[in-house]
Amino acid sequence: MISKRWFRVRMVLFLIVFIIPSFVLAQQYSLGAKGKEAVGTKAMVATAHPLATQAGIEMFQKGGNAIDAAVAAAFAIGVVEPDGSGFGGGGGMLVRLKNGQSVYINYYGQASSKVHEAGFVYGKDNQTARAILIPGTVAGLTTALRQYGTLPLSVVLAPAIRYAEKGFPIDETLSKIILDNTNLLLNHPATASVYLHDGFPRTEGDTIRQPELASTMKAVARLGQVGFYEGPVAKSIVDEVIRSGGMMALDDLSKFRPTITDPLKGSYRGYTVFTAPPPHSGVTVLEALNILENANLQRLGYYATSAESFHLLAETMRRAYADRTSFLADPRFEKVPVRGLISREYAKSRFDDISMTAVIPADYRKTTSGMPSQYDRHDEGNPAIEGSGSKKNDPTVDTLKKSTRTDSPETSHVIGQAMYLEPVGGHTTQISVMDGDGNVVSLTQTLGTFFGSGVTAAGVLLNNGMSNFASTARVNTVQPNKQPRSSIAPSVLLKNGKPFMVVGSPGAARIPATVTTLIVNAVDYGLDAEKTDSAPRFLCQKSDQYLSLESRFSTEAQEGMKKKGHQLQLFGEFDLFFGGAQIILVDSSGTLHGCADPRRGGTAVGY
Amino acid sequence: MKQRAAILSILALFIITFLPGFVLSQPKGKFEQPVLITSAGQSADVTIAGMLFKRANIQAKAIALAKTTDLDGVKTLVVVAGFSSKGLGAAGISREQELTRVKSLLAAAQEKKLKVVTLHIGGKARRGNQSDDFNKMAAEASSYLLVVKQGDEDQFFSKIAAEKKIPIDLVDKIADAVRPVGNAFAK
Repeated sequence: MISKRWFRVRMVLFLIVFIIPSFVLAQQYSLGAKGKEAVGTKAMVATAHPLATQAGIEMFQKGGNAIDAAVAAAFAIGVVEPDGSGFGGGGGMLVRLKNGQSVYINYYGQASSKVHEAGFVYGKDNQTARAILIPGTVAGLTTALRQYGTLPLSVVLAPAIRYAEKGFPIDETLSKIILDNTNLLLNHPATASVYLHDGFPRTEGDTIRQPELASTMKAVARLGQVGFYEGPVAKSIVDEVIRSGGMMALDDLSKFRPTITDPLKGSYRGYTVFTAPPPHSGVTVLEALNILENANLQRLGYYATSAESFHLLAETMRRAYADRTSFLADPRFEKVPVRGLISREYAKSRFDDISMTAVIPADYRKTTSGMPSQYDRHDEGNPAIEGSGSKKNDPTVDTLKKSTRTDSPETSHVIGQAMYLEPVGGHTTQISVMDGDGNVVSLTQTLGTFFGSGVTAAGVLLNNGMSNFASTARVNTVQPNKQPRSSIAPSVLLKNGKPFMVVGSPGAARIPATVTTLIVNAVDYGLDAEKTDSAPRFLCQKSDQYLSLESRFSTEAQEGMKKKGHQLQLFGEFDLFFGGAQIILVDSSGTLHGCADPRRGGTAVGY
Repeated sequence: MKQRAAILSILALFIITFLPGFVLSQPKGKFEQPVLITSAGQSADVTIAGMLFKRANIQAKAIALAKTTDLDGVKTLVVVAGFSSKGLGAAGISREQELTRVKSLLAAAQEKKLKVVTLHIGGKARRGNQSDDFNKMAAEASSYLLVVKQGDEDQFFSKIAAEKKIPIDLVDKIADAVRPVGNAFAK
């Protein structure tokens, strides 16, 4: 009798503890599993880690808006996906408010005022203390919260502090990234103490705790950004950077401010596109979309199965990337011909340059940039362009064409006559958030490459963003207080003035190609969120010898591309190399459909 | 009734506690030094393997891109299996070039009658289409497999071990591989 009674009691307890909450949660929220769609009408959060997504949802539960949720998720992702972003990095945040106002918060890091004293050498120093930019994350996120959020900083930082203090289990994605970067982590005892155990990499299922980071976060929660950019935390950072061979001054930190500007604005097949202005790569996405608008992609077939549309996409991206290499830089220091780059006339000239039957020029590396300056007069009413360049440096197209730099911070190798680009992974992270009122955030933030410089100070892993400056070109060169070019391109699309798509991706040089492809999947092919995010990806750029692609492109498409002259380099079916996009699509009824990229370990949650 | 439950509980406890020990099948023959460690797939795991050997006090030379000429004077070849696109990029070679290198190295080892040991320490991160060609090639040519369990959840290595009658040790964590490495190579 007793055992039967105990069995019943235990069953009831089990129901209370496990089953009922699950049922309630399932009723309340649409949980998108890895690569699965989540549906909601009041809110949607998509990030690269379930705990970061949960942090965003917590803010909605506390009555916050999309900005509160995005900032909480961004703080949290820096803890639970520590290889991709965090307090020691920077990023960009596109905000579309319910009142119709759109802003871009640029909080990417910038070079130290004493950068030349550090003696950064491109390549050799890419993952050292010399590659550290002044971190912008804390300033950017606290500014966003102050300007557009509704909740106190201490509330928004609470989940991140909790994860840092109590720890979280390593997932499959992080486990692989730790393994891949063991050599870097071994070089820095403070960093190794977090990610290695007894000298060996922590692996899937192990717990990572970051008490020192939690302590720094608490200082920020208490004091605001001053808790990071001044006082003991700032001193710790400066001391460690200098001790590790880099250069940073206390003034660099105390004077750091994010910029709030208008986003870049364009359109694609009737949709309004807001994206990241220079020195970020929204301009490359807009240029590519403008070129593609000259063709009917639907008629050419689906690009993953049709070589006709795939070829057009690849050749379009190749040209857009060549222009990015030649013209994109910090507009406070160099003139960027933004009007020309996103003008339809210029796009038509680039489209006319594409042969639909063959790869011309056959060698990707001989791709020439265009002459966007000639189209700079065609102003399309883009507020972000005004004041986007100074006259400090006004390189002509001719001089730019002599540029020999590669298109990304990644290392190139020469094998015989062929150049092989070092694929170093899909670093950086994307957060996409929307609330029922119509507030929208697309946020991309980064440490540079995975685990940044590897240097940890005050529990904060510091970036290696200097590697985004050019190696030899006359554009995007290293200067004090200058921001390097970045591939990030957080974007928002509107349909009839209402949010239609929130999109962005990590993935270094792949970002513009990935974001463009995602938009094409949603707009041209009408795919749902899950299919848009899962669709095969590629990279075709000037600095590569090969067209890089996921192996899921059909045999017909691959063979067709070879016949046109492309040399293919196959990657995995769902390869982290091509980024980790988080997207939200809004259907005609106003329902939100979110999806986290199946290439990473994230989730989308909506309700 | 209670007695049977107690016996079953004790039996279950016994199985849980001691079965992993039985599954570990130490290599029948000891492996001789000098040892050359190389990669099959150019993952950073080759560095970790070097650390394992150092911790086990076994002298070993690690050459990620070892050529057949590097086998001169070597008694045992340790192959650390697992693909990494980052590693291949850093090495400046393609996956096909790496497959060819590993294939010829294993053939040369066989010709020289060297014993081959495969280490798979990267767990699930070193499984899947890109890695498994390297994993299979190395494992099938080996006299001993040492695998971190997460990489054998589908019994990929256990099946090869059973089919080819190759001794295999499965360990929970990378650090747990120190002891079997020490046992296998102890003089």
